Amino acid sequence: MKECKIVSRKFEIPNSHTLEVSKAHGGYRTLVKMDEYSPLEIIEIIKESKLRGKGGGGAPAAGKWALMPQESDKPSFLAVNCDESEPGTFKDRQIISKDPHLLIEGILLTCYAIKAKHAYIYIRGEYKQFQDILQSAIDEAYEDGLLDHCDITIHRGAGAYICGEKSALLESMEGKRGHPRLKPKQKEPEWFFDNPTLVNNVETIASVPFIVENGADVYKSYGTEHSPGTLLFAMSGHINNPGVYEAEFGTPMMEYINHFGGGIKNNKKLKAVIPGGASTDVLTAKEAECATLDYETLRSMKSALGTGGMIVMDEDTCMVTALKNLLEFYHEESCGQCTPCREGTGWTDKLVGKILDKKGTKEDIEKLLEIADTMNGKTICVFAPAVATVIKSFVSKFRDEFEVAL
Amino acid sequence: MSKEIEIIVDAKTYHAQEGSLLIDLLIKEKIKVPYFCYHESLGTDGNCRMCMVEIEGQKRPQIACDTFIKPDMEVRSTGENIEKIRTDILELELINHPVDCPTCDQAGECSLQEFYMDYGLHDSKVTITDKVKHSKHVDLGSNVILDQERCVLCARCTRFTDKITHTHELGIIGRGDEARVSTMPGRKLDNPYAMNVVDLCPVGALTSKDFRFAQRVWFLQTVNSVCHGCAKGCNIFIDHNKIKYQDDVIYRFRPRRNDDVNGFFICDEGRLSYKELQENRQGVSLLNSKEITEEEAIQEAKALIKKYKNNISVVIDANLYSEEIEAILAFAKEINASVHSPLDIYIDETFKDNMLKSANRAANYKTIETLSIDTNEPESGGLLINFNHPQEFKSDSKIDFLTHKRDGADLVFPVAAFSENSGTLSNEDGIIQICEKAISKNIPIPTIIETLSKVLV
Repeated sequence: MKECKIVSRKFEIPNSHTLEVSKAHGGYRTLVKMDEYSPLEIIEIIKESKLRGKGGGGAPAAGKWALMPQESDKPSFLAVNCDESEPGTFKDRQIISKDPHLLIEGILLTCYAIKAKHAYIYIRGEYKQFQDILQSAIDEAYEDGLLDHCDITIHRGAGAYICGEKSALLESMEGKRGHPRLKPKQKEPEWFFDNPTLVNNVETIASVPFIVENGADVYKSYGTEHSPGTLLFAMSGHINNPGVYEAEFGTPMMEYINHFGGGIKNNKKLKAVIPGGASTDVLTAKEAECATLDYETLRSMKSALGTGGMIVMDEDTCMVTALKNLLEFYHEESCGQCTPCREGTGWTDKLVGKILDKKGTKEDIEKLLEIADTMNGKTICVFAPAVATVIKSFVSKFRDEFEVAL
Repeated sequence: MSKEIEIIVDAKTYHAQEGSLLIDLLIKEKIKVPYFCYHESLGTDGNCRMCMVEIEGQKRPQIACDTFIKPDMEVRSTGENIEKIRTDILELELINHPVDCPTCDQAGECSLQEFYMDYGLHDSKVTITDKVKHSKHVDLGSNVILDQERCVLCARCTRFTDKITHTHELGIIGRGDEARVSTMPGRKLDNPYAMNVVDLCPVGALTSKDFRFAQRVWFLQTVNSVCHGCAKGCNIFIDHNKIKYQDDVIYRFRPRRNDDVNGFFICDEGRLSYKELQENRQGVSLLNSKEITEEEAIQEAKALIKKYKNNISVVIDANLYSEEIEAILAFAKEINASVHSPLDIYIDETFKDNMLKSANRAANYKTIETLSIDTNEPESGGLLINFNHPQEFKSDSKIDFLTHKRDGADLVFPVAAFSENSGTLSNEDGIIQICEKAISKNIPIPTIIETLSKVLV
């Protein structure tokens, strides 16, 4: 397998989180590019590189950057989304604990490009120990004068999954309840206290220094045509070596699982893989054999690459229990704003619980699919549609297990 | 300026402002669309997802409260597809809702109940024991009681305290189906407009401590009136009912929308002023505190007017209807009396705020001003005829026309309160408004005009 370390280059180096070690290994050397390139030229490089947002959606990053006003009476802001709460996803915390200075470097380049003077890092509340590492890196950067022209503030979340949704994140940062906002009718930036704001995932920002330093073409030499570059893919579940390993897009899924993960635990057979965090459709073992890790292939399989955090399940896994586990999470985490999601997550959770308790009927399975239908496409954010497709994929692909459980 | 364009709703053409909200047009044109969270005073929130409509060219149904009208828009508000969606969302709304309409005070004016009759009519698929339990009859302060289980989380009440009163007492706590409305820690819902959340609440979650369980709403009759609490002249509905063998009674005031005056709301003090209106009423004529017949009182009045000829002052309450004031002026001219309406007593700066409350507590002082009535106190001595003015004046002899009992006068005539009579008021901005007659008492109390016409004969 092709060795490709763009974001994780310094991960293995001892004390890589300190400024001294970071600088000794090339940290912050791209800052000189700010003298070379204008902000618009940096945006152009990012556009050229076809860098896609790495928080799960996979939208072209430069599209959002270009929406930020270059001339404005209002201050612009960058909000770095580190509210990493998608089950099966634990890549951003590798960056902020092993190479926080790469993130800071990326923030400085991004803020330069979008003319922001202040960046916020929204970090999930449970990441206190990683936050401390990140904060000491920021402190070091301040001492070193790196942040003389751009402030970085960490904003700690209070532990709600939905705050990873960009508009809910901003609501939360404004001190309000983390509720997603209604989508604007036209393309426009996000708004933080009515000021134009760019929200990007940690890994997206951490990819920026490499692209600015080496150019778009080098970045595009990794990955596929529509999914260029690399991703910190992650694995958890029934595998021998769970963890985060960077790989280029387009890597065959099984090759990745076998190469980095060391295969399925206890020589069991594979049953299913959830490809990119809990909110993507589950793949059967057969589908996983054909899957490659890029946006377009997984989309064509009616699933999604999502965050690239794979959850691997072996042949002994009960899929009803697995779905119950996921639904408990969604039931707990639905923000409660829209009716279909607020009530649907709870009801589906209870229905699957009923099936698991051997009290279910065939009608319950049908009702489950019906509720999933109602939850799909009728809410403010994509939380409920994600739950809906998860339910549908589990029930349709493993229907026999649900029927046996009745 | 936005321009007027044509759009098609259910194959009919309508005129609307480009860029205005689709739901406003649907509401205005009385096209049936269910919704909980949207309210014209609070704007779009988009949480209930009930107002789904189909828009030609859009893949998915859209909520009308977040759809802006564009040229050539084609909207479908009915049809199998859209009705199924409404039914499905309503079913979700109902799964954790208590099935206790018969004991719910909102029954009869509940949006959830109405929509169920339109789009639901299914049996509950969730057993009662599986429903999410929340707190019931929580006293929020300021006469509002919360039942969290009946709440549909439309957030109208929280948005009211955020956007209208800016007092932020209410919030939603908890997530998912555990989400519920609550007061903020250590806070009470105690702003002077708090009871408006009861009207805003589309279901039985927020009820008025004062009104709850007093009447079934379908027994109430409603008339349009204007609050007499201050010079603002907030438009109200008077809800009243005459129970068999009992007298006609007002059960509540509710705000009536008037964008030129009060918008959607009224203050709590005005809302609860119906009580004072009905208590301690002067029902009979009195002479030196002894009950006499109306006929005797009229003879007595005639005698007093004759005795104090050319030495009579008339005082007018600035809350009386313009018609009554005019009649009193005509009467005063007839008996050659001076007319006064001292306004100082109505001024209460502590009452005033920057929303609706005016420092001038007289509902019709503007008419007193317009008619150039003397606002100085009458000279003491002679005969004083007081038409319900709240102040006491010195004189040799007094005739009082009173709605409510009061000490002091030699001769007292009872008069009808504003709810028992119709008439017009001019508010502090000079807007002339009509109050309809609400109450027909078993033993009617005569109006000022009726009594005066008898005194003058």
